[in-house]
Amino acid sequence: MDLLAPIVAPASAEALARLHVRAFTLTADPKSLRVGDTLRLRIVARLDERVSQLDNVTLPDLSGFDSLGDERVCTSSASGSECSEVMTLTPTVAGDRTIAPATLDAIDARNGKPSHFATNPITIHVDPAASQPPDVPNAPNALVDDLLRPLAILVIVGAAAYALLWGFGRRKTAPPPVPPPAPSAPPASVDPLPQLIAALAEQRTRARVVALRDELRRRIGAREHETLGDLLRRRAAGADATFVDVLRALERAAFVDDAQLARAIDEALRALSKWRPTP
Amino acid sequence: MTAPQTLLDALETTIVGQRATLDALLAALIAGGHVLLEGPPGLAKTLACRALASAVGGSFKRIQFTPDLLPSDIVGTRIFDQRAGEFTTVLGPIFANLVLADEVNRAPAKVQSALLEGMQEHQVTIGPQTFPLPDPFVVTATMNPLDSEGTYALPLAQMDRFLVKILVDYPTADEEVRILERFGGEQPALPRDVVSIDDVLRWRHRARAVHLEPRLKRYAVELVGASRQKHDYVDRGASPRATLALAALARARAFVEGRDFALPDDVRAVAPAVLRHRLAFNYRTLTDKVDPETIVASIVAAVPTP
Repeated sequence: MDLLAPIVAPASAEALARLHVRAFTLTADPKSLRVGDTLRLRIVARLDERVSQLDNVTLPDLSGFDSLGDERVCTSSASGSECSEVMTLTPTVAGDRTIAPATLDAIDARNGKPSHFATNPITIHVDPAASQPPDVPNAPNALVDDLLRPLAILVIVGAAAYALLWGFGRRKTAPPPVPPPAPSAPPASVDPLPQLIAALAEQRTRARVVALRDELRRRIGAREHETLGDLLRRRAAGADATFVDVLRALERAAFVDDAQLARAIDEALRALSKWRPTP
Repeated sequence: MTAPQTLLDALETTIVGQRATLDALLAALIAGGHVLLEGPPGLAKTLACRALASAVGGSFKRIQFTPDLLPSDIVGTRIFDQRAGEFTTVLGPIFANLVLADEVNRAPAKVQSALLEGMQEHQVTIGPQTFPLPDPFVVTATMNPLDSEGTYALPLAQMDRFLVKILVDYPTADEEVRILERFGGEQPALPRDVVSIDDVLRWRHRARAVHLEPRLKRYAVELVGASRQKHDYVDRGASPRATLALAALARARAFVEGRDFALPDDVRAVAPAVLRHRLAFNYRTLTDKVDPETIVASIVAAVPTP
């Protein structure tokens, strides 16, 4: 069962967990970015109870964003639990986008009544995608762009013409009864790693370093509170020295000063080029 | 400029094991803070401080805190010079680069305050005159956790003045054999003038410039904030001074490791030493026999790293 699974049908009071919800928050980092950059959306529930997973959480509508992966974890301590879901997203359209509150249905332990907890909403400011900086050597991409741009225009024009013709044709005939919507199949599992590496090579920003670092941490089963030192100590990265180099280089790129970021990303990409990921 | 690692290597020629103590002393020296050492007698706490003072070529004074100690025994006093017919000031042992306040909890509150005021203000007022303390000025205070009879516990507000509290533990069997070999005969010489006071001041300048990424600053704030959350065993959490201490020590640690940027590892590694003496544990820790260290560890572990 998903840690923060969306509710399909309203949950009955009997199915709800009895929880003392101390905090239920929605945060984004960064809150202002460009189309194509990545952001981390984090839903956190702090509870007085010790739980290993949290049910009956409804995620907000995330249209306008592509998901690059998510990470879910519940940690328990003497004072209770903290359950979080961190989604790595990339905006696809520019403009201010308000993400509605995530909700949690539970029996409020303070009064014993079924309750509907909601996070804060959050507004993300998305600027249009940055144009390619002229000093970045990217000749192969430019060549591909030159070849693909006319082809893309042809496809868009063709699709528009087809849609127009199809629309006119449909109006002449009586509309058939609308079939019931087919149950949507679960999305196919796509490995986001190659996309994230390509995205970093294309646009060398801190946000993309962080997204790639998060994905690698997720792949090796890093827990939320673990540092790189912890992971290396418990050999989560295995014995693959090239992978350890990748993790170290990304850690550096994620935390160096802005003035050294470009060089750190170059080093990270070099380390990535020597590493052969295993599924 | 000599590297901080050289100083650590030199200290290790005298002190066997106790790497956490040496790391903390060096980090506090670089971050410009004071250290509280807690551990049973005979664990080289005094020797470590003496070795550090000798290795940095600075002045060292030791003050043994006792119930009959007076504030003037620490900061100094004014005496009447009969020949000159006027009062002159005699400066106390606090005027040194490295001051060891041995068993600081054995003196009453007014004496502790005299020391702690100097620690905070980096100056001392004797009569009508104010005297600046030397730079660097690091106080290392020790407390023995075993004998609580006849002691005056340091109030939380005064504990907060210490940048870190280090728990000094017994050595391992191998380390103890090495202690026997090293100290069984003649007392080994302390490392002398391995680095200079100017080196230390330059390290401080460089460490202050170590980059702390905004997400790491947020992490430091969340760690300290976590100590203020409602907790079964903690009545009061740490103050923003702890956040400043976390940042300063994380920078110092990164600098010692040869980096000009800090990592989550740096912040997390120094967090227990920064937090443990700043939390007000309640009576339940005693009745439930809970080790405060596990509480600190659970608070630190509950905060996700950036």
